[in-house]
Amino acid sequence: MTNNVSRRGLLQAGGAGLLAAGFTTFTLPAKAAGKKPYRIALSNSYIGNKWRIEMENLFKAGLLMEPYKSDVKGSWFNSGNDVSKQSQQMSNLIAERVDAIIINAASPTGLNGIIRQATSRGILVVSFDNVVTAPTALKVNTNQYKFGQMGAEWVAEKIGGKGNVIMVTGVAGTFVDADRNKGAEDVWKKHPGITVVNKFTGMWDSATAERNAAAVLPSLPQIDGIWCQGGTDGVLKAFLAAKRPLPPTAGEGENGFRKFMTGYMGQKVQGISIGQPPFLVLISLELARSVLDGSRPKGDVEIPFPFVTTDTVKVGETVFPDLPDSFFADFTDSGDNATVKICVEAALNGTACAGRLNVVLPKA
Amino acid sequence: MSLAESAGAGQPVPAIEGVGISRAFGGVRAVQDASFAALAGEVHALVGENGAGKSTLIKILGGRIRPDAGQVRVRGAAVLLNSPHDAHRLGAWTVFQELTLLPAMTVAENLLLGREPRGRLGLIDRRAMERDGEAMLAGLGIHHIDPLALVQDLPLAERQIVEIVRAITQDPSILFLDEPTSSLMEREVAWLFGQIRRLRAAGTAIVFTSHRWNEIVSIADRITVCRGGTNVGTFTEIGEDEAVTLMTGRRVGSQYPPRPPAPAGETALAVRNLSGEGVHDVSLELRKGEILGIGGLAGHGHRELFFMLFGAQQPTGGEIRLDGKPVRIASPRAAVRTGSGIALVPEDRKTEGLLLAMSVRDNMSLTILSRIASVGVIRQATEQRLCRGIMEMLKVRAAGLASPVGALSGGNQQKVLLGRWLLADCRTLLLYDVTRGVDAATKHEIYELMTRLAGEGRSIMFYSSDAEELAHQAHRVLVLREGRIAAELDGTGLTAEDIVAAAMRDRAA
Amino acid sequence: MAAPQAIATRRPRLAHAMLQSAPLLLSLAMLAASIVVYCAIYLASQHRLPGGFELTSTVNNTMPLAMAAVGQSFVVLTRGIDLSVGGIIDLTNAVAAVAIHDSPASMVGWSLAILAIGALLGLVNGLLVAVGRLQPILVTLATLSIFQGIAIRVLPQPGGAIPDAYGAVLANVDAPISLIYVALLVLGWRVFRRTRLGVSIFAIGNDEPAAAANGIDVRRTKIAAYVLSGTFSAAAGLFLAAAATAGDATTGNSYTLTSIVAIVLGGVSLFGGRGSAVGGIAGAFVTSMIVNILFFSHIDPLYQNFYEGLFLVLAVTAAAGIGHYFRRRA
Ligand SMILES: Nc1ncnc2c1ncn2[C@@H]1O[C@H](COP(=O)(O)OP(=O)(O)OP(=O)(O)O)[C@@H](O)[C@H]1O
Ligand SMILES: [Mg+2]
Repeated sequence: MTNNVSRRGLLQAGGAGLLAAGFTTFTLPAKAAGKKPYRIALSNSYIGNKWRIEMENLFKAGLLMEPYKSDVKGSWFNSGNDVSKQSQQMSNLIAERVDAIIINAASPTGLNGIIRQATSRGILVVSFDNVVTAPTALKVNTNQYKFGQMGAEWVAEKIGGKGNVIMVTGVAGTFVDADRNKGAEDVWKKHPGITVVNKFTGMWDSATAERNAAAVLPSLPQIDGIWCQGGTDGVLKAFLAAKRPLPPTAGEGENGFRKFMTGYMGQKVQGISIGQPPFLVLISLELARSVLDGSRPKGDVEIPFPFVTTDTVKVGETVFPDLPDSFFADFTDSGDNATVKICVEAALNGTACAGRLNVVLPKA
Repeated sequence: MSLAESAGAGQPVPAIEGVGISRAFGGVRAVQDASFAALAGEVHALVGENGAGKSTLIKILGGRIRPDAGQVRVRGAAVLLNSPHDAHRLGAWTVFQELTLLPAMTVAENLLLGREPRGRLGLIDRRAMERDGEAMLAGLGIHHIDPLALVQDLPLAERQIVEIVRAITQDPSILFLDEPTSSLMEREVAWLFGQIRRLRAAGTAIVFTSHRWNEIVSIADRITVCRGGTNVGTFTEIGEDEAVTLMTGRRVGSQYPPRPPAPAGETALAVRNLSGEGVHDVSLELRKGEILGIGGLAGHGHRELFFMLFGAQQPTGGEIRLDGKPVRIASPRAAVRTGSGIALVPEDRKTEGLLLAMSVRDNMSLTILSRIASVGVIRQATEQRLCRGIMEMLKVRAAGLASPVGALSGGNQQKVLLGRWLLADCRTLLLYDVTRGVDAATKHEIYELMTRLAGEGRSIMFYSSDAEELAHQAHRVLVLREGRIAAELDGTGLTAEDIVAAAMRDRAA
Repeated sequence: MAAPQAIATRRPRLAHAMLQSAPLLLSLAMLAASIVVYCAIYLASQHRLPGGFELTSTVNNTMPLAMAAVGQSFVVLTRGIDLSVGGIIDLTNAVAAVAIHDSPASMVGWSLAILAIGALLGLVNGLLVAVGRLQPILVTLATLSIFQGIAIRVLPQPGGAIPDAYGAVLANVDAPISLIYVALLVLGWRVFRRTRLGVSIFAIGNDEPAAAANGIDVRRTKIAAYVLSGTFSAAAGLFLAAAATAGDATTGNSYTLTSIVAIVLGGVSLFGGRGSAVGGIAGAFVTSMIVNILFFSHIDPLYQNFYEGLFLVLAVTAAAGIGHYFRRRA
């Protein structure tokens, strides 16, 4: 857009006099791209839970490790769950003319305006976790529908296709919550023997999940399976407090849940722990870096969920008895086809691990 | 002193009349089957003890609260007053005892509230409002109140005047004045009475309450005495002693107790060249056992002087010595704790002293909490005993120690405040207009109390807007004018006129 | 006629005006200071001064908060508080996303309808507070949840397509057109102060029983204050929708708190009766400036909240201190 157009717009709106001074540059000069180190900023919304802290720690650790150490000059910002603030910070990033912005958004739609302004100025925008709908932003995520589906299928199989299950949902009004629920519900439909006896929100928070579970449990019949989006360890604790046996459970990647899978508080639960991995931020970082240096075309990335079951969970690798229950044990991928492998110190303190950080993106 | 009941039948239709009015608050029967009528063109005084129900009756007739039973008639027709607005429409305006000015608004805004001059597009014309406000004040001979000042910055007397001006500029056919003189000085009272006479001549029915008998005598055409929420008689002429007996149901002695001999003892409080906002180069000495009166017109630095001695305002120069030692009083808290302690009973009980929503007990024991607490927990029995003692001594009329202070009548609120400082047991008491709005019998008790406290060797510095009171109570009176001590008058043989004369003598003299 | 003695020490009109609007002047001074600091830090880190882009995006980002702050002012001036601001923004934002389509008629018609919805939600609050005689904090806390719940019903997932033309009018990215709305708000406020309702709102915030004794209709005034708050919150919802060209039934939540912060920064007393919505607007811009200043000073984001809190406390303390000083001098 040129100055002329903007000026005319102002005149039409009758505000030319008001805005008389100072607006000579409505557009910033295009950024000369392709010069290392790339300036890549992480714009995170809120930092109020362990997952987000781990995520940010991984980002910091990644920046300290090769190849990012020499290729990228990174920075990170938090805005709370305040769309205006995140939008304001992104404006500042645009003003700073960074090369790429990685965002975990406060709202999937609320930032679309500013994202459009960023991309129209040649800034690469990669969104992950709570992804945005803006078409010009690249998206890095897991398939949340599959999260719901995978857990539900596992529970259905464990209980032989019949029995009572409860669903502990997440934060209403988000895509993630809706998609996960849909994935599970589509599975239940295929198993007429399974009854969903209750569905309540755990807000992806152990304390809330525990409180809400404790509130509904007394009114419920025997429960044969739990399907939980988050706060899984809290739900199990509520079961223990109500002196109920722990049924097969599909849940998130909380360390506390995985402790139950290896034996905890005198109980061992049959479970599958599927995590929304905090290392999505590293995938996003790698995507940004490789798009900027031209080694990869622009395109979205979807990675499979890392998961463990009671049979595969390993102490010191995917569960950590010495770390708190609220720690997310899925900070790293495992196995031969792992996308990211990183040490626990990176997740805990944001410090570098030994060696290079090798992030394997799925084929474009 | 003839006791003449006014004749009943064959009288003109009253401008306003309440018949068989009752009103209770919770368990307290504030007004009980009271009947009252005011005629056009008369000044009708309503007298009674604190808590007799005068204000409640006025609030009912003024549309502020609704009666539980009874009927209000205006010019013979029964009316239902749901709000002050209804009363205003019938020409009935009230100056309430607890003022109803809006503190963060200007004098002009308050005067013109609800009748603002309109300019273009029907919007309020602020310039015109200032002009009109100024004209209203000037039209009534008031030039010293700035129409642009915020009400919260005015001294109480000026607020009272603004409130009165607001009511009388509405051309009321019925005007209620609930203790309008309690914070006014002689000269301001004279001004008010001039206005009242003018309105009376124009046919307004005026209902007036006061605890100062000389005012009643000088202005009232008829007097209705209330006791315990009901009217016990209406008179065209009645002597003070009879009236007080009727109000209280018992005989009360002459108003002023004999003054104890002037002490020659040591100096308790010495002030040298004290200066600050509103106070210029004031020096004074207060001896132990002395009652030192401070007189003068409102707004001449009394308030500031008292506040400085109490640490609520900081002087810019000068020295304060307590028991011979120089002290710096940084805050009221410091004042209470300095040496033998200084206490101030302030003027505006509504905003400077009482916590209206809290109980009588909490309000009284506020300054002595640390004394009656063990390990931080208040010993309730002790608190109860102390407060009950004070409550009985001052004859506070309240449902109990637990009732909120806001529910007490004005005079009783004042007593609670006084009680607080008596409990605090300070050796130096600064009493700022403590008898404001207090009934005759209680005033008498307060005088006796002051005499007794002075007899015990406590020092009292005492400001009053009632020069009469100063003349009778104080050993010495200092008259302040424009923040300076204009005269020192000896108490013996002193009259109110002397004090007023000293206060008004112009500077050249 | 004997008149009380005259002590004619009149203060000039200007001195009065300055003194009486000291909190507002302080908040404007605070805004000016924060803009200067921002420019200085920006210059130091970017080696140029902020230009049109920065101005436009700051104004656009702040508009919803400015609107919410104006709405909140009405209620706080009556000595109430409106915690449902966030819920009303959520709901109106959701309705906008669902309803507004690409025709001018739809845009204008639905905008008005959404403002009316905001007014209606405010009316609910107002009736509960004024007629039901319930505590404002309880009423609006309850309606906050209710409005949020309805908002999620209306728009279960973020989305909707607000036409670009709509965004170009309310949140134009190429020119700070929104400054016109700021100017209109300021102008509107000055007019409002000179209406009977304006006077009544201040009066009941000053002293409710006294206002009632002066014949002011306390009920009607309170209801009007909540209705205005609802309407301005709805406007905030529209601005948000316009900027995002989409809706999200949870984006409004943070505005409950930030609107209160903004008006406090703007010198509106939480005890009612004192303050100006213009101060609230200034306060909203100050909060944006704080975000900007912290951004360009490149502090560790982990301490960002700490510094933000520190700034707010310092700002409010400084304002109170300066105000106090001038009152005593005067
Ligand atoms: N709002 C209220 N709630 C509870 N009790 C009240 C209320 N208003 C007045 N009362 C009580 O009603 C009684 C009469 O009070 P009122 O104010 O009418 O007395 P008064 O004659 O005006 O006294 P004073 O001379 O002290 O002003 C008092 O005992 C008072 O405690
Ligand atoms: Mg009274």
